[in-house]
Order: sequence, then structure tokens, then C-alpha cells
Amino acid sequence: MKALELIGKGEEMHGRAYIKSDKEEASSIIKKLKENGFDHFVMLSCVDWIDNNEFELVYHLWSYEHKEHVMVSIILPRDNPSMSSMHELFPQIETYEREIHEMYGVDFEGNNRLTPFMLEGWHDMPPMRKDFDSKKFAEDVFDSIPEIKEEEDEGI
Amino acid sequence: MKEYELFIGPQHPGVTGNMMYHLWVDGDIVTKAECNVGYLHRGFEKLMESRGWMQNVPLVCRICVPEPDVNEMAYAMAVEQLMDWEVPDRASYIRVIVLELARIAAYLMSIGSYAGSLGIYTLPQWTLGDRDYILDIFEQLTGARVYHIYIWPGGVRWDMPEGLPDLIEKTLSYIEKRLKLYDDVFFRNRVFFDRAAGIGKIPKNRAIEWGVTGPNLRACGYGYDVRKLEPYAAYGDMDFEVVKYPELGDFEVISDGCDAYTRIVVRRLEIDQSISMVRQALKKMPEGEHILKHPNWLKWKAPAGYAFSRVESSKGEYGYFVVSDGSSKPVRIHVRGPSYTHGINVAETILKGANIADVSQILFSLDVCPPDIER
Repeated sequence: MKALELIGKGEEMHGRAYIKSDKEEASSIIKKLKENGFDHFVMLSCVDWIDNNEFELVYHLWSYEHKEHVMVSIILPRDNPSMSSMHELFPQIETYEREIHEMYGVDFEGNNRLTPFMLEGWHDMPPMRKDFDSKKFAEDVFDSIPEIKEEEDEGI
Repeated sequence: MKEYELFIGPQHPGVTGNMMYHLWVDGDIVTKAECNVGYLHRGFEKLMESRGWMQNVPLVCRICVPEPDVNEMAYAMAVEQLMDWEVPDRASYIRVIVLELARIAAYLMSIGSYAGSLGIYTLPQWTLGDRDYILDIFEQLTGARVYHIYIWPGGVRWDMPEGLPDLIEKTLSYIEKRLKLYDDVFFRNRVFFDRAAGIGKIPKNRAIEWGVTGPNLRACGYGYDVRKLEPYAAYGDMDFEVVKYPELGDFEVISDGCDAYTRIVVRRLEIDQSISMVRQALKKMPEGEHILKHPNWLKWKAPAGYAFSRVESSKGEYGYFVVSDGSSKPVRIHVRGPSYTHGINVAETILKGANIADVSQILFSLDVCPPDIER
């Protein structure tokens, strides 16, 4: 696969190139891929591997020239995760980073628009983290029909 | 007062759904635009992490309301990649028929709404009425009009009922006749020429870098279509040419491309293409099984790994990133909707300098669909 040759490491997974990288190296890998035909930034995903206490950021790129999809993966610690922003390479990364910041609590240095995106007035834990209990949240917020006590019932 | 703020949406006929644009305006000219979403966030991605592989099928289709089938297809493809399944041939052809009919329905809706944004209200009435005839086909095939829950991992839910090909053919020839009428009323209408040409231009050299996909990219002159680049289902057997600027068939090329006019004409031409593809698929469809034998739904485990699938929707490229750790539930499903780039970064950039009266036609010409931004 072209991407694996270019970067010199990684593996093939279900027809896609999968490259493991680290925080410092990632932006140079993505820059190199962009310069060599991988010019369509597909998306930026975040996976919560709670058992390993890690977040995984996956940068997806596609090359119209080589007809190839590549995933660049970075592992971040789950406590105070931070990563440098890459919105200068592809402008739409800004929005993906905004969403991941809101939903997972990952900080992106250099992104000046980490403002609330989909949530409004949210002060709880970032909700896409695996330890956020969405059932309990739904019960607390929506299961709030007040109970009517016996005495108040009289006369109805 | 030189500059003032305008809030368009979320309940406004000039935006393409439940989303809001915050505009800063100087006179009639937009100086800054900001997209505000959050009105449609349903948390499907989170919900899918707590449900089994099969239980997620009825959820994914709800990610795009006007064209739900592409989501079922992309999800099914990703799961099939993980499971290493070969889909029966007949199912692949039925999938093409369903996807192309859904594409026609979605294009009818988007062209109609676009015409509405120019004040030509006849067209939305007609296109939405005609779209219902396609929904009738879906009702016969799947039992549902909007969310079909029909394309399953491993194939399609039911085989095609007897007599359905005749109904499809009847509907297609009806739509072909109606398209001629649309052309006279809208596509050769001076209002459309005068108002749409040169409006909402995406710079051609930035289009790919900005993540523009689908008909919007083809209107910029790039002949990229996932159905050709990475043929899925039975698209490899279909005979079709990718529609792109400046090859606009019978329609006039009156601008340099990349604008609202070209984007809508490309969509109009792709309806013809989809009609031809449905006919080809009906003709070439082989006999045989329509679905693989499934493992037990409750105990079904997908091997650990990362899968990515992409499909071409009427709005652009859909991508599904599915992660499995080998258990009966996915670890993560992330959906790339085409409107995520079109509706936020691209729209915010190209709305700058536009006239207020053109804001809604620019948004409709990009075919922004907020449900796939929020998921």
C-alpha cells in the first residue's frame, strides 16, 4: 500500500492502511501524506479505551490519486489528554477537534474555537466518555415527575 | 448602525433543517457567518455503543432523514468487513435499486427545496408529491416509507415481492415525464439563471482540502464519485459516466462552475443517471439468496478490529468508522456525514460576502442536512 511505503510502518486492516504514531510525530506524518496525494481529510475520530486508561485519536485520510484510505492513530492518556491542533493543514479539522473536546474532553492546543458545539450549558463529565452513565443522566433529568403526597390528594 | 446581527433558524424556512446560522450583516452583505448546531443531537453514537450489532440497524437509518438508506448500507458494509462476509449477488443488486431510488427521492426533495428558496414554490409542491410515488415503492418492498431498516449486514431483509419491478418501471417513466416539466418550469427559467449563476462559489483549488464531496465537488469539475472510486454493492457492474462540470448535457454552461447553478444542475443530471442505474440493476439482477445465514443475534460477536466503509449519498461522502474489541457490542461507531464540512466550515466561509437574499439558496445548493452533523 502506498501510505505504508511512504511512512515506512503500519499494517493493513480490512483493506485500509493503519499507522500507529505518537503525539510528536503525528503532524509530520499527516503533512507528508497530504503532500503525497492524500489530500482529502475524511474525519477525526476518538475512541475511549477505558480499560487501558487511554484515548485513541484516529485521523482518516483518503487519496483520490491512489484510491487508498489511511488511518493514523495516536494514543493519549485519559487523564488530561492534550494534542496539538492540525486545523492549519485542513480547515475542517477545527470542527472535529471542537466536537472531540466537548464530547471526550481532549484539549487541542492551538485551536482557538473550542467553544460549545452541540451541548448547551453542560457542566457534567464529557458525555461520550465510557464512564458517563447516560441512563442515570436520563433518569435524573427526565424522570422528574413530582410525587403527590397523600394529604395533598384530598379533595381532588 | 453599520453592522447588525441576524439569526436565521432553527425554525426558519430558509435554512435546511433544525440548525441555526448567526450572521453579521453590513447593509445587505454578510460579513461573518457562524453555524450553530445542537437542536438535533440525539446521541445515536453513544446509544450504539450499548446495543448489539444487529440492534443498531434501526438506529443508523435515522442519521439522515431525506436519504436514510445510505446509512444502512455503510453500516452493513463496515460490519461485513469485520465479519469477513461476502454478500449474495442478488442482495447487491437489490441494494443498488434501493440506494438509487432513495437517491432520486432525496434529489427531488433537495431540488424542490432549492427552487423554494428562490421563490418558485410550484416546484417543491410537485417534487415532494412525486417523491411520494417512490416512497410507495419502498412501502411495498420494505413495509416502511421513510426509515426502511431493509439493508442488513449480510444482505437485504426480504426478497423483492412479485410485481414490484413493474411498479418501479411505471414510477420511473412517470418521473421521466415529470422531469421534462421541471426543466421547463425551473431549469430553463430565467429566474434560476439570473439568480444562481456565480453565487456561493467554492474556490476550485481549495475544494478537496476543505472536504467538499459528492455533487458539490463534481460541480467544481472533479469527477470523483465513490461509486466509481471504490465500487460497493453492484456498482462495479453498472454502466454510468460521472456527471461533472463542464459536461452538463442539455443544460447550458453559464458560469465557471463551483456555484449554486452548477451544483443544482449536476443534481438534476444525476436523477437521469440513477433512473438508468435502477433499470440496469433490474435487468441484470440474478436469482438466488437475498441474505446470508446470520449468527444468533444475541450472542453474535464481531472479531476485534477497525473497519471503515464509505458510500456516495445524494449529499456527498458518508463514512462509517466501526471499532470492535471482539465482543457483542461495538466499542465505537463514528459517522462522517457530508454536511459536517459543507454546513459548517464551507458554508461559514462562502457565506462571507454574500447578499442576505442569497443565503438560503447557497445553503440549499450545498444540500446541508443537519441530522448528519449531529447524529
